[in-house]
Amino acid sequence: MTAARPDTKAVKQAIQWMLRLRESGHDLALQQQCAQWRSAHHEHEHAWQRVTHLHQNLDLRAIPGAGLALQTLETSQQRLRRRQALKLLGGVVMAGSASWLAKDLDAVSAWASDYATGTGERRVFTLPDGSLMQLNTRSAVDLAFIDRQRLVRLKHGELMITCNPRHPVFVQTRDVLLEGFEGRFVAYQDSDCTRVSVSRGKVAIHRPGIAQLQWIESGQNWRLDAHGAQRIAQMDMDAMAWTEGLIVTQNMRLADFLAQVSRYRHGYLGCSNEIADLRLSGVFRLEDPEQLLRLLPQTLPVRVHQRTRWWVRVESTT
Amino acid sequence: MPSNDCVQTLYSDHHGWLHAWLRSKLGNAADAADLAQDTFVRLLQRREQLQLNAPRAFLRTVARGLVIDHWRREELHRAYLEALAHVPEALAPSAETRELLLELLERIARMLDGLKPKVRRAFLLAQCEGLKHQAIAEQLGISVRTVERYIADALYHCYVLHYQDEC
Repeated sequence: MTAARPDTKAVKQAIQWMLRLRESGHDLALQQQCAQWRSAHHEHEHAWQRVTHLHQNLDLRAIPGAGLALQTLETSQQRLRRRQALKLLGGVVMAGSASWLAKDLDAVSAWASDYATGTGERRVFTLPDGSLMQLNTRSAVDLAFIDRQRLVRLKHGELMITCNPRHPVFVQTRDVLLEGFEGRFVAYQDSDCTRVSVSRGKVAIHRPGIAQLQWIESGQNWRLDAHGAQRIAQMDMDAMAWTEGLIVTQNMRLADFLAQVSRYRHGYLGCSNEIADLRLSGVFRLEDPEQLLRLLPQTLPVRVHQRTRWWVRVESTT
Repeated sequence: MPSNDCVQTLYSDHHGWLHAWLRSKLGNAADAADLAQDTFVRLLQRREQLQLNAPRAFLRTVARGLVIDHWRREELHRAYLEALAHVPEALAPSAETRELLLELLERIARMLDGLKPKVRRAFLLAQCEGLKHQAIAEQLGISVRTVERYIADALYHCYVLHYQDEC
């Protein structure tokens, strides 16, 4: 018969002591303090024994061949989650159903297309199931139901969805069908691909004819097109910043930056070739793109040549 | 403790259905038979009274857990063999050591189920690679304080699971 369980507080303290000792190597003073804590109360000692016992049980480093443990655990976990999603969750997320869904979306008659924004406009909508949708500049979506499933078709532009955890939401773009389970994500239909960023929760990628799901995890950014899915390790722009009315860049090419800014204003905006590769890092407000352009010469060796209100070209000062 | 009679009735009423359900999940009759059997063994081992209002939903819940355990074992084996393929033969561990390690990995993987990916990763980097908190923080792009919290949370999570079966 074991003694009564040590209480939660003692267990958590024991864990703290163990981690501190492990981290510090052979710090004698710390070891003494820990010994004092252990002897202060029999419950402390009991918790300590149990925690160290557990810790030894979980220690992989002493076993030969355990160098592969991390890789094995991570790979198998990813595959296991995919299998679980495919075979056990049931509902729409079943092998083969993704292509079915994508094909049949066009046949749905219940599309309602009253969600749209003009140039420079951003709007937040509450969808009927309680999830939030924010549309960025020049965007349009349709909404529909199939079997109580909520479907959003991104016709053009960019959206952010904050999911209602009880109802997964499907977002169809030209390239891919996404399923958001929880949390928040952004999808942008670019000229040649769909860009997806997940800030919280996770999103599944369904691709026609491919039974296996791919997952986009929180914090990840992906580029999806007809040929495949590619994770982007390093972003030159914060994908979520527009939802707060900002462009946040990190070492972004000037030409790419201007292409982004031109999404928020009418007319032509470009730059000469010799300055296209200049780099820009900073936080810019979207509400007044003209003001934003006027600020450029303060940080880069450029001047803004404005022939008409609709024709603006950034050029080198040298 | 459920009576044997009760499980017996469940067995004769629903074993055929459970086997068919498992077979549809596993795509394999032999594995389905094993897991159907395991499901009923599990029920016999339970301490609390069986909830019999919805016997099939109940069986499915138990069986679903076993299916996931089964897949976890398969995927661990597969991933471990793949990883081993890149290790020179002279350095590869013996067959017994592999079994031992896989058992341990399975126990750990089951315990870590349900942890957030970053918490899990921080814990494994400490546990498998012996990395210091500072190094983990850099690798995951989070603060050292957060790493400490993640690892303590993961350990506590394991603690609760490890000792939950005690009276």
